[in-house]
Amino acid sequence: MPTITERLAQDVRFKESINSCINCGVCTAICAAAEFYDYSPRQIAGIVQEGNEEKIIALLKSDTIWFCGQCMSCKTRCPRNNCVGIIIAVLRKISQEEGYFVESRMGRQQLLIKRNIGSTILKYGYCIHPEIVNPEYHPEQGPTWEWVYKNKEKVYERMNANLDKPGSGTLRKIEQDTLQELRDIFEVSGGVELFDKIEKYSFEKAAEMGLASNPDSMDNYVKYISNE
Amino acid sequence: MNKSIVVIGAGVAGIEVASILADMGYNVFIIEKNKNIGGNVAFWHHLFPNNRSAAEVREYMNQKIKVPNITLFPNTEVTDISQKKNVYVVRTNKDATFEVGAVLIATGFTPFDARRKEEYGYGIYDNVITSVDLEKKLERGENITTTQGMAPKRIAFVHCVGSRDAKVGHTYCSKVCCITGVKQAIEMSKMFPDAEMYCFYMDLRMHGLEYERFYKDAQENYNTQFIRGRVSEVSENKDKSIQLKAEDTLSGLPLKMKVDLLVLLVGMEQGKDSDKLCDILHLHKTPENFIQPQDPHLQGNVSSRQGVFIAGTCIQPMTINETMQNARSAALEINHYLLHL
Ligand code: SF4
Ligand code: SF4
Ligand code: SF4
Repeated sequence: MPTITERLAQDVRFKESINSCINCGVCTAICAAAEFYDYSPRQIAGIVQEGNEEKIIALLKSDTIWFCGQCMSCKTRCPRNNCVGIIIAVLRKISQEEGYFVESRMGRQQLLIKRNIGSTILKYGYCIHPEIVNPEYHPEQGPTWEWVYKNKEKVYERMNANLDKPGSGTLRKIEQDTLQELRDIFEVSGGVELFDKIEKYSFEKAAEMGLASNPDSMDNYVKYISNE
Repeated sequence: MNKSIVVIGAGVAGIEVASILADMGYNVFIIEKNKNIGGNVAFWHHLFPNNRSAAEVREYMNQKIKVPNITLFPNTEVTDISQKKNVYVVRTNKDATFEVGAVLIATGFTPFDARRKEEYGYGIYDNVITSVDLEKKLERGENITTTQGMAPKRIAFVHCVGSRDAKVGHTYCSKVCCITGVKQAIEMSKMFPDAEMYCFYMDLRMHGLEYERFYKDAQENYNTQFIRGRVSEVSENKDKSIQLKAEDTLSGLPLKMKVDLLVLLVGMEQGKDSDKLCDILHLHKTPENFIQPQDPHLQGNVSSRQGVFIAGTCIQPMTINETMQNARSAALEINHYLLHL
């Protein structure tokens, strides 16, 4: 079994994204996430460069790796051509593959994202579809959205969209064979396997917390992680 | 033996080599593309490490070339160099031809064009200037003000602009800008005793004997704070002051700061003059685009081509004193070569 540090080093994206870091801090200075959270891309570069297995595992179990918005601003500035945004993407994948993500609050929310965006893309062919942004679960969208949601047929028609109908145009219904192609891509590229792992580790965590007794009754856990 | 030499570039290095070789009895032709001699020192005001006036160094150079066997060709550029056995034939855009025993390249450096680091706003925001602009202003005796005519209350200096930065293709340290920043911060503080100075650096490279003393002096007596972090970007406020962003890496916190004037400490790069000569003569270059010496320890002034020598900042970033010493060693090297031809 390769260590986590070795697995990082084997990932081509990782190799491309860290050459050597001089701790200049320009990535942290440009990072929007660092402005709002206790998060510093410079420190991420420092930890992975140091290559200490325990520290890297602690990172994979922490909220830290989930703060990044993947905007890639850091890439545009680094004087050593590193890219912490990509390093984060690799760390996240290993955290999901190994189940470390369930050890942090933001990590646990991976389940919500997987169940929302992850299933929407396979069901509708869109990452976000108006149908799933139900005002009941998304009070943050406010009353205007609630009105749009209720009147979406008419609203989208006026916007010249082609909501859920065959043919061309924005938000058109994606044809079955196209959807099947998308599912095949997820299957062969390991996307489905990763989704299954997120479900599996989340259930194990839910069981450990006494919030679920079988994988099909995760409601309490979902409620818990939505509000924690 | 051909006792003539062509020196390309009338800056510190070229003139020092020329004057020593002239002393030894050689005929020296200096080809200079500009009207005046002095290279980059021509527009400098005060020099580290002792704040002496750059005019004194220029005066030294002016005196040095006033000897019969040095001929200066100003406003002239080399267009071609060919070789016939041990003789080099140098042609210029003024249709002059020189047949000489050796060629010295002393084309110096070009200050980095700060517009290439667009995120620092040079050429976009009025109150962003370079270290070179500041020297020029001081040399011309201009008042230093913001573009609104106010005395600056807070001035920041950005280190490593165009140096140590893979994004602009310059991975090397330009060696002189840290101490230039300290020198200019002290000068500004003397001019504006109530103002605050901030230097944003990645590493402070105080390699000269006196530099550390300068640095300490700036901290203790000239309101200068050193913040370890590279500036990520700047923007302009409504009142034309400059907002900058960096991380104070020693405390691990991102910071924003409003300053009245931002000075970019621009580094050195090789300009098109040395590129052109390297093309004509097929000289080897370092990965940093400087001219590669034959042997960095033992033949530092010998190019990859016999009879073609190099001196000064076309080899690597150097201070003026280092350039002087380097030029003297180049003169000895050329003399040795011509004596043993
Ligand atoms: S990609 Fe992530 S780490 Fe990089 S600047 Fe954007 S939010 Fe910050
Ligand atoms: S910008 Fe690059 S060199 Fe600077 S701290 Fe970030 S990763 Fe390290
Ligand atoms: S001398 Fe200082 S400012 Fe200049 S490139 Fe080197 S480290 Fe940067």
